[in-house]
Amino acid sequence: MVASVEPPARHVVRRARPALGTLLEIGAEPCDGCDAAFAVAAAFDRVRVVESLLSRFDAGSEIHRFNAAPAGAHIDLGADARAVLDASRALHDASGGLFDVSLGSGPEGWFVDEASVLHKRRAGVSLDLGGIGKGYAVDAAVQALRRHGVRTGWVNAGGDLRVFGTIDVPVDVRDETGGGVRRFGTLGEGAFATSRLGGRQVSVAAEFCLWADALTKIVAASGDASHPLLQRYGARAWLQ
Amino acid sequence: MRIALVGSIAAASALAPAAAFAVDYLSAEEAARLMFPDAERFELHEIVLDAAQLQALDARGVRGRSARWQSLAARRGDATLGHVIVDQVTGKFELIGYAVGIALDGTLKPVEILSYRESHGGEIRLPAWRRQFAGKSSTSTLRVGDDIANISGATLSCTHVTDGVRRIVAVFDLVKKSGGLR
Repeated sequence: MVASVEPPARHVVRRARPALGTLLEIGAEPCDGCDAAFAVAAAFDRVRVVESLLSRFDAGSEIHRFNAAPAGAHIDLGADARAVLDASRALHDASGGLFDVSLGSGPEGWFVDEASVLHKRRAGVSLDLGGIGKGYAVDAAVQALRRHGVRTGWVNAGGDLRVFGTIDVPVDVRDETGGGVRRFGTLGEGAFATSRLGGRQVSVAAEFCLWADALTKIVAASGDASHPLLQRYGARAWLQ
Repeated sequence: MRIALVGSIAAASALAPAAAFAVDYLSAEEAARLMFPDAERFELHEIVLDAAQLQALDARGVRGRSARWQSLAARRGDATLGHVIVDQVTGKFELIGYAVGIALDGTLKPVEILSYRESHGGEIRLPAWRRQFAGKSSTSTLRVGDDIANISGATLSCTHVTDGVRRIVAVFDLVKKSGGLR
């Protein structure tokens, strides 16, 4: 008699909620001595906090207060806004200004000092972290999962995806014009993001989702799928 | 970083045929239990809006869409803890099932996505395509390798879900005011 032996099932907690203006999916493999469902719930909570801190619409956020403030204002930043603004400044300088969270309103009109204080140099400068905040939130969710003991899992905010641990997740890229998806490949221990800008669809793979997210904007704006910045961040890009 | 491409980039280009994409996250009952862990049981509860209520919804700028809604009422003893309403919305190519939980005091629970379906070729508007998912049961646990593909896209928005949630909250609010919720 031939018996077919099922491989041991690895049960995964996989949940999705609307967040970050898209669908946020979080997956976690069960882990010894940890509660994967609890960890996933904590990761959703973490994203909600990051989202409200970075949103330019949330009246309590540092970004909203900066945008509403007069020239000369200074705003104390929490660790999240500080991290994203520092990364934004670094990407701005390294990309020769292609990456600009002031969206042209004045990249030199803001700076963060060493004491984590955000300064507004002149009136009319406003910030929008839409090109980088989602990637940061995904990284923050991965941190939250790990802090709760999850060793293998993934976080996907509408295509800003990060995978960690021993799993390789199949990645499908959505056909934005005709619907449906096409298999792109598999991703393990890294991040992948897709953006559309000026008719160009760009995907970038990088170590962190913040980088993948921001680098899609730089590749789309430059039209250069082998932009020198990619190498510096250990990233790869695909233009469609 | 480990990345393996399917063949060449052509696999992700317009030359390759597009496939459908589907994920089930939670059943309605599982979502209800997550939202109201203290409930002893969930009872099906029918909400029927009359013409005046549908008009009132329109006046609030929320299209009523349907006069009949079903909720799962979370009960503990004689008390009602809240209601969970399950709905579906369609985007350009996607069909999203979701659940909205509202405690009796009006507090909204975090919205849970129950299922995601991405169509190819525009079948999303065909009733037959949509029917195949009606009443499909799902589980929150699944096996690695079965169905864990992740989708990446530039324009996946949750606007439809957000609008749907707003509509359900408005329905709940109206019916509660008229004493139609138990």
